Amino acid sequence: MNYEIVCGIETHIELATKTKIFCGCTTEFGGEPNTHCCPVCTGQPGSLPILNQKVVEYAIKAGLALNCKINTKSHMDRKNYVYPDLPKAYQISQYDEPLCEKGYIELDSGKRIGITRIHIEEDAGKLVHENGYTYIDYNRSGVPLIEIVSEPDISSAEEAREYAEKLQLIMRYIGISDCKMQEGSMRCDVNLSLRKPGDSRFGVRTEIKNINSLSFIQKAVMAEAERQADILDAGGTVVQQTMRYDEATNSVSPMRDKENSDDYRYFPDPDILRFSINDEKVEEIRASLPELPFDKLKRYVNVLGLPEATARQIFRYRKVAEFFEGALAEGASVKNAANLIVGTIFSNMDTEEEKELFDIRISAAQFAALVKLADEKKINIGVAQSTLQKMLESGKPVEEFIKPEDLAGISDEELESLCKEAIDANPKAVADVRSGKDKAINVMFGYIMKKTGGKADIRKAEVLLRKLIGQ
Amino acid sequence: MKISKTEVEKLAKLAKLSFSDEELERFTAEFDEIIAFADTINQSIEGGTEQIRSVGARMVSFDDLRPDEVVPSLPNEKILSNVEGYNGFFGLERSKK
Repeated sequence: MNYEIVCGIETHIELATKTKIFCGCTTEFGGEPNTHCCPVCTGQPGSLPILNQKVVEYAIKAGLALNCKINTKSHMDRKNYVYPDLPKAYQISQYDEPLCEKGYIELDSGKRIGITRIHIEEDAGKLVHENGYTYIDYNRSGVPLIEIVSEPDISSAEEAREYAEKLQLIMRYIGISDCKMQEGSMRCDVNLSLRKPGDSRFGVRTEIKNINSLSFIQKAVMAEAERQADILDAGGTVVQQTMRYDEATNSVSPMRDKENSDDYRYFPDPDILRFSINDEKVEEIRASLPELPFDKLKRYVNVLGLPEATARQIFRYRKVAEFFEGALAEGASVKNAANLIVGTIFSNMDTEEEKELFDIRISAAQFAALVKLADEKKINIGVAQSTLQKMLESGKPVEEFIKPEDLAGISDEELESLCKEAIDANPKAVADVRSGKDKAINVMFGYIMKKTGGKADIRKAEVLLRKLIGQ
Repeated sequence: MKISKTEVEKLAKLAKLSFSDEELERFTAEFDEIIAFADTINQSIEGGTEQIRSVGARMVSFDDLRPDEVVPSLPNEKILSNVEGYNGFFGLERSKK
């Protein structure tokens, strides 16, 4: 392609508050239609919206985690448009005084994608179209959202995906949203235009609405860039319009236009007082932030000494990272704990969702008790793996499967006599080892492990065996 | 400030309302009067409306915002009491495009 991609992403994230943004109705997902509603969130005349403190706190948390400047004075605006999912015929949003501005997300390459702004707003209701009728459920009406707008700094489909992935991970870590794209608690709109390399002017852009998976973001950017390139190559011009990505055909097509949808006539909402947050409060919220995911990743690699591949598998799920660190706090070793999580616990989890949920039947302390047995070489790693599997299936602690007598361990004398036995029982393997076929030593390992039920320290056994064989 | 009939027509379109030509003429005149009234207020304040917002408007602090505590919602039949409900939903005939 002879063009440069210029892309920005707008992300809507549903906040995990207990109540809606302007009333005390629950934000719980589901429920019978129109049962999480009151005069405020159904836009009844005379009702008065009152801003939820938690929404402001969560938005500031998001801003701080994304390196934004926090506006300590802010207000709500009305964004006017007429559509049945919006009972007041305006959405309460923020226009010229958003809570957070001028942040960034750093990609693995070191490139920073600017965050223009983060503002708070209310979600709309849900429409169901059936048999020529439209049915409206306002349970979602008034559920708090933040909208995170990036600068048009993204220049490839891969960068678009990485940006969204990192954003999702950071938001999950700070605990303000579950960011489930399939369920709509995180939705992305992609703005995209093309230009000739070196050109400083922007081309005509299109907006692809409501993309609901990370891989679709990448595919949609590619599909739309190709579509625009074909138009430009043929000497045509791109039309500024709103598009929809169809995953079944991997193509992008124009959406039916909402009439004059960009004429929103914003103005300050006179029902809601302007609000201020003092610097101490901002600092208090900053102090409440957990270690952020990419700081954690660096620490796992640089301080704990985990291989990057293993560290990446653990850090990307907040609950897994908590479980891992919980086990370390109980005295488990980094290496064995990490390997048992990635090797054994993850083998029971087929999907990303399962790892994200990390709903397992043992506690970090119970896990640590097992890991420590392996650390102290009281059991070997194979036994640790199979015991862990049994613990995961039953939810029972390690003592249920490994009795104290099993842990007596093998004394050095016992091990030495076992090694001698192994040598006597396997003359051919001994001869093979002596003639340079080193792998034959495994036959003796097998013999010793079988005799001890897996309890022997294989490294010690190897030293002894080699000494006895005369190598 | 004067408002034109075209602007009133545009506002009607945005609000998905349709009016007769006489109505549009009448609204244009009425809108003009309302805007003129607002302009009078505006002119009487040194610094204009921005001044009202930055100095006059009351502000609340973070601590005065509503705590995140659930209160019971209204029963479904109450929510739907002004409309004809459909299995708990608000319902409307889909507009013809």
